[in-house]
Amino acid sequence: MHKNMKKATPYLLLFPIFIYYAVFWLAPVASGIKEVFVGMDGDFTLTENLKLMFRSDLFSESVLNTAAFAAISVVLQYVIALVLALLLSRKFIGSRFLMFISMIPMAITPTATAILWKTGLVKDGWINSLLMGLHIIDNPIVFMNAEGFQAILLLIVIDTWTVTPSVMIILIAGLQGLQKELKEAAYTFGANKWQILKDITLPILRPSITTSVIMRMIAAVQVWSIAVMVLGYSKAPFLVERIAFYVDAIPGVDTSTKLAYTYSFLTTIVVLLATVVYLRVSGRNKIAAGGEDE
Amino acid sequence: MMDRLNAVQKTVFAIILAGMVMLVAIPLLFFITVSFSNSTEMTQFPKNIFPSGEVTVYVEPKDDGKYELFYDYQDGSGYTSIITTNNASKLEKHFARQYAVVMDGEEILEEFSRTRTEGAREFTFRKDMFYNFKQFFKIVPNAGVALKNSIIVSLYTILISLSLGSLAGYAIARYQFKGREQINVGLLIVRMFPTVGISIPMAVMLIKMGLYDTMIGLAFLYSIPNIALTSWITSSIFIGINKELEEASYVFGANSIQTFLKITLPMAFPAMAASSMYSFLTAWNDTISALILTNENQTLALVVYKAIGTTSSGIQYAAAGSIVLIIPALVFTFIIRKYIGQMWGGVEL
Amino acid sequence: MSYLEIKNLQKRYTAKGPLIVDNMNLSIEKGEFIVFLGPSGCGKTTTIRMISGLEEISGGDITVDGESIVNKLPRERGVSMIFQSYAVWPHMTVYDNIAYPLKLQKLPKDEIKKRVQAAAEATEIQGLLKRYPAQMSGGQRQRVAVSRAIVVEPRLFLMDEPLSNLDAKLRVSMRTELKRIHTKQGSTSIFVTHDQSEAMSMADRIVVMYKGKIEQIGTPMEVYQDSATRFVAEFIGTPPTNFFDASIVREGQEIYARGEGFDYKVPSSLHSALAGYAGKEIDMGIRPEYIDILPDQRKQDGYFCDARIDFVEPQGSHSILITEIGANKNVKIHTVDHMDIKQGTKVSCHVKNGMVMFFDKESSKRIK
Repeated sequence: MHKNMKKATPYLLLFPIFIYYAVFWLAPVASGIKEVFVGMDGDFTLTENLKLMFRSDLFSESVLNTAAFAAISVVLQYVIALVLALLLSRKFIGSRFLMFISMIPMAITPTATAILWKTGLVKDGWINSLLMGLHIIDNPIVFMNAEGFQAILLLIVIDTWTVTPSVMIILIAGLQGLQKELKEAAYTFGANKWQILKDITLPILRPSITTSVIMRMIAAVQVWSIAVMVLGYSKAPFLVERIAFYVDAIPGVDTSTKLAYTYSFLTTIVVLLATVVYLRVSGRNKIAAGGEDE
Repeated sequence: MMDRLNAVQKTVFAIILAGMVMLVAIPLLFFITVSFSNSTEMTQFPKNIFPSGEVTVYVEPKDDGKYELFYDYQDGSGYTSIITTNNASKLEKHFARQYAVVMDGEEILEEFSRTRTEGAREFTFRKDMFYNFKQFFKIVPNAGVALKNSIIVSLYTILISLSLGSLAGYAIARYQFKGREQINVGLLIVRMFPTVGISIPMAVMLIKMGLYDTMIGLAFLYSIPNIALTSWITSSIFIGINKELEEASYVFGANSIQTFLKITLPMAFPAMAASSMYSFLTAWNDTISALILTNENQTLALVVYKAIGTTSSGIQYAAAGSIVLIIPALVFTFIIRKYIGQMWGGVEL
Repeated sequence: MSYLEIKNLQKRYTAKGPLIVDNMNLSIEKGEFIVFLGPSGCGKTTTIRMISGLEEISGGDITVDGESIVNKLPRERGVSMIFQSYAVWPHMTVYDNIAYPLKLQKLPKDEIKKRVQAAAEATEIQGLLKRYPAQMSGGQRQRVAVSRAIVVEPRLFLMDEPLSNLDAKLRVSMRTELKRIHTKQGSTSIFVTHDQSEAMSMADRIVVMYKGKIEQIGTPMEVYQDSATRFVAEFIGTPPTNFFDASIVREGQEIYARGEGFDYKVPSSLHSALAGYAGKEIDMGIRPEYIDILPDQRKQDGYFCDARIDFVEPQGSHSILITEIGANKNVKIHTVDHMDIKQGTKVSCHVKNGMVMFFDKESSKRIK
């Protein structure tokens, strides 16, 4: 009797979670999928809503922008962060202070970040104030007029400011975690600094860098609030920005709801694909490390 | 011998370091200053990087009993005439709105009367540093309620995530059972699932349940990834807690529940604290789901988001509001930074 | 001129800080297997790292074949090093690990292949060349480190506690393996360890170090039987040397070493050494196997004291007896003849063959 109870215990402990996720995850997911494939008249349709989305205003822009933003910002951030990490990964006085400062941009809500940058980007904002004060420019730049690709660049700059210091810290942690003797061994055999970096350090760090890049991309794909708060709706469309637009800017219209559902569906698919890649890569890492999955 | 830096390299290092710190700190400083700036300072150009606590005006007495007020916009043109009046309430409003100086109108006039004997002169007044914060909660509709709501929804989220998550974490850590691997993978997927993807269906469901526009409804959504996250963090810790400590407790006669409460739980406390803070941050910072799932009962994050849309003037109030938003986030992020590193860098503890 | 000369070697980490390595002088012949032995913090690892080029020296010189190497890179010194953690690169196969030093030297591919094969065969891991370190045991990884170290055919083979992380049985078998490789390669080796039995079994000569200084340089037998300082006598040998506080007393022609619970007539061979110590306090050290006991409590030549056996620890080939003499509550006696003596038996103790060591109390040096 006791043995049976013991066997059942884990399932009992997990029971609440099962129920919770059945109600609050499986059901909404199913419902969300259903809504995409049910037309406004209530009948099943494979493509009606998808077509609606494809034809909707700024659809292609939002897809392109999301892709461009995610790709460019992640690559840019990791390259900068890696260079900085390699330069700064020694222990020095004040390194703790650096760590703390670097975490701040990422710790503050995107909303606050947006306000922070908006106050700088307006014509009489502190960016122009600083640039003119340092005599780098003579006349104020009108950032807020940015359109198209320039607007995306602006957002990439803001995102880079937010994310790069934190990524740098994580890379520094990884570099410092690397066993000293692994590098020393290469040094005793005649490797110079570059060879040690290329042959030892980077390859060993590659798995954890890859997984963190994918996680960062998953977040980047869901960008929206800085776009809306700094530039406004529809100025720099992204996938999730479109969702917010249809919920917030023009709610109550039937097509809006359908579009919101369909965009959510698309975003979810994109993120899930990235998650699958993440699982494959981290699974491979675990095998290479020789450990069991724990 | 490998790591020695010569003098040139040391200077470069210091420059890069200083540059980095400045790049991060300067925008932050400007931002903080904005949140403390009064309306007049907002129109000034160039902008100050440090907040000032005082306002200086130049007052000239006029023959008709009025006073002419001058202000120096620091733009090189010296003192500019602002208003000429002797109306107490007008002065009071002006001082409050433009300078964030909160003073009784009569008192201001009394101060100004000194120019009749001393001649035209400057006056320096202390600014109410919290003026913008107070204004934010006054002007922005329901800001005070939103603050309360944010606290409530965050607490709900912690409660749900912690209780369900640590049960699951314990089960996964302590027991070998069929389906354990699959459950792990499943939890990972749920954890990384974009909440925005299910927000709209959730809204519909909550409407049916009568929970739309409630904090508990919002908490149900926030808890979805957080339960999985708590489960992951706590299972790592429970695995670390030596099983023999629990077994010793059984030998001494305690049953499973007592053991869990008195032995296991206290040792898992740091991990649970970390998961709680993570849950808190998700609920506290989120805007998009709150946008979808609430209508009138908004969270602070949502309220600040909406405030910035209303007008570009008065942005200093939104800035002040977002400082309130930021503070708990900063504190908690600092405390749980070790775990954040794990999450991002894929470094397992 | 010997092969490797260490002259007045010094190391400190900060300008005014303590000397980690304090004026070390050592000459090593070609082909010798030298062991640096000492407790942690004694400077042995720092010294070997200075020889390898991983640490800068603060003073003195190191020469190989007459040429100073202190300003040369490790590769230029012709050294090869094995680390305590093996430092086998986890992202490379065994083959790539062993081949990497040769790749750095830009050797042609088939040359590399030949030498890697030979190095792997030397440690019998030629079957593991395609594996990754994570898929191997600690002992196998250690062999990879060894193969990698010998593939460059170094003139100086440096080993920093390479066996410390292995389990006991493997440690002992790897001792012979390493010596065999050392002999076959004809290398000159420096081996660092804190395990005195390891040092004893492997070394041609042992350099005993303590707090940055060399306590003694000698063959295993020399450091064992002819310990130069109290530290060496205490550190080397298991069970450790028994120590007693004694006063040297001259009575006519005889000299006695007297202390709490014992009275020992010093053999005449040691009289000249103790010449200046009459009336003074010294430390007296007797190794467990040099204490003979007589259960009938007779007093013979070399009589030391009477004692009661408190504990008996049978080891099979001998027994360790534990007794109390004076202030020393943990005196150990190594006996073969009286292996099955009963606990509580009263015996008389004798020093065998005058094998006693006297040490000056202030300098800790052996009185000879």
